[in-house]
Amino acid sequence: MKMEEMSLSGLDNSKLEAIAQEIYADLVEDSCLGFCFEVHRAVKCGYFFLDDTDPESMKDFEIVDQPGLDIFGQVFNQWKSKECVCPNCSRSIAASRFAPHLEKCLGMGRNSSRIANRRIANSNNMNKSESDQEDNDDINDNDWSYGSEKKAKKRKSDKLWYLPFQNPNSPRRSKSLKHKNGFSVCTSASNTLPLLFSSSGELSNSDPFKYNNSTGISYETLGPEELRSLLTTQCGVISEHTKKMCTRSLRCPQHTDEQRRAVRIYFLGPSAVLPEVESSLDNDSFDMTDSQALISRLQWDGSSDLSPSDSGSSKTSENQGWGLGTNSSESRKTKKKKSHLSLVGTASGLGSNKKKKPKPPAPPTPSIYDDIN
Amino acid sequence: MVVSKMNKDAQMRAAINQKLIETGERERLKELLRAKLIECGWKDQLKAHCKEVIKEKGLEHVTVDDLVAEITPKGRGKEYKLCERKCGLRHDLFSLLLVQVFFFFNKEKHSF
Repeated sequence: MKMEEMSLSGLDNSKLEAIAQEIYADLVEDSCLGFCFEVHRAVKCGYFFLDDTDPESMKDFEIVDQPGLDIFGQVFNQWKSKECVCPNCSRSIAASRFAPHLEKCLGMGRNSSRIANRRIANSNNMNKSESDQEDNDDINDNDWSYGSEKKAKKRKSDKLWYLPFQNPNSPRRSKSLKHKNGFSVCTSASNTLPLLFSSSGELSNSDPFKYNNSTGISYETLGPEELRSLLTTQCGVISEHTKKMCTRSLRCPQHTDEQRRAVRIYFLGPSAVLPEVESSLDNDSFDMTDSQALISRLQWDGSSDLSPSDSGSSKTSENQGWGLGTNSSESRKTKKKKSHLSLVGTASGLGSNKKKKPKPPAPPTPSIYDDIN
Repeated sequence: MVVSKMNKDAQMRAAINQKLIETGERERLKELLRAKLIECGWKDQLKAHCKEVIKEKGLEHVTVDDLVAEITPKGRGKEYKLCERKCGLRHDLFSLLLVQVFFFFNKEKHSF
């Protein structure tokens, strides 16, 4: 025993270290063995190769390392230039603009209803101004507004003006909107067409097929009747880059009369001329260029209580009502529409006046006077 | 004399080993070692080597002995030493072991 003790005490640290080393090696060997057992069990149970992919899949999903592509091989910004076809209007829209377009196109979403209400209100104003073309119901139903006193170009101020006086959400509004929506563009009774195409380019989007928010019209889809009526009230010159007709007035400064004439000749044949002149061809019964005669006729019509300003304005609106444009083509859409309304209203309650007037090439002027007589 | 000394060493080693097992230190050390080996990637290397061996031998006919014979030398070889250095096995685990050994030895001294 004592010898052992002595030998034990003779052990130095290196010996201990050696012992530790050996124990450590044993541990590592145990780990290796344990690992072998695991692998063997996995092989025999069949799950050893489960986490591997076959070479074909490896090739499919290999990391791509080319310039301009990401590691999946996709091109950056691929969706920016992609175009989608709108299921509603069948137009091709850029992908990044598709969602807002759809919102407007379908008429859902917050903004589109706001815009639609605004447009209804605006076109109601327009309706009141261009009275003889307007539906009787609309005239009667709409509340009094300042719309007639404002120019169409100042449409935005219109909205601010009459908003306190009119409830945009009243049922009458929806009625008038329904009226417009149900109004087919393809009919020849296109009195409201000029109403919808304003000089400021703010179009009712109720019919998304043909009218867009820009200031132009696609002329390919319009029928001959509509074209004619369009051309009698609007500039109509086809823009170079957008291939659309100009919706501004007949006196729009962007295009010359020559251009307008050329467009009309192109669409309506060689006989077509600018509306200023066209009227004279159509209306042989009276001299349209003679404003004095008009005024006198109107006064004879029974509206002698009209002030001179009214008669002057009603003359212009008369012109517009019958598709004739003399000196003030912009005023046709704008000023004193209400007074024209009153003119017509006082004309001994002519039923035909209150009806929505179609816009035939031959003016209804003789017919009205026939009624009066 | 030398033989007995060797016997003594062996005896001591056996005693210390036994002590380690009894207290459960050996198991703890083993777990620690396993974790470290996985961490430094030693296990993945060995696994890749295993796959090669199995593909060679054929999936059906692999035996434990085969695997052991193939893998253990590799497991203790150069890669192991690299891994060891990488994750500081020697530093952490071995010093821990050393401490344990000293501790047990001191205890043993009295019992001897």
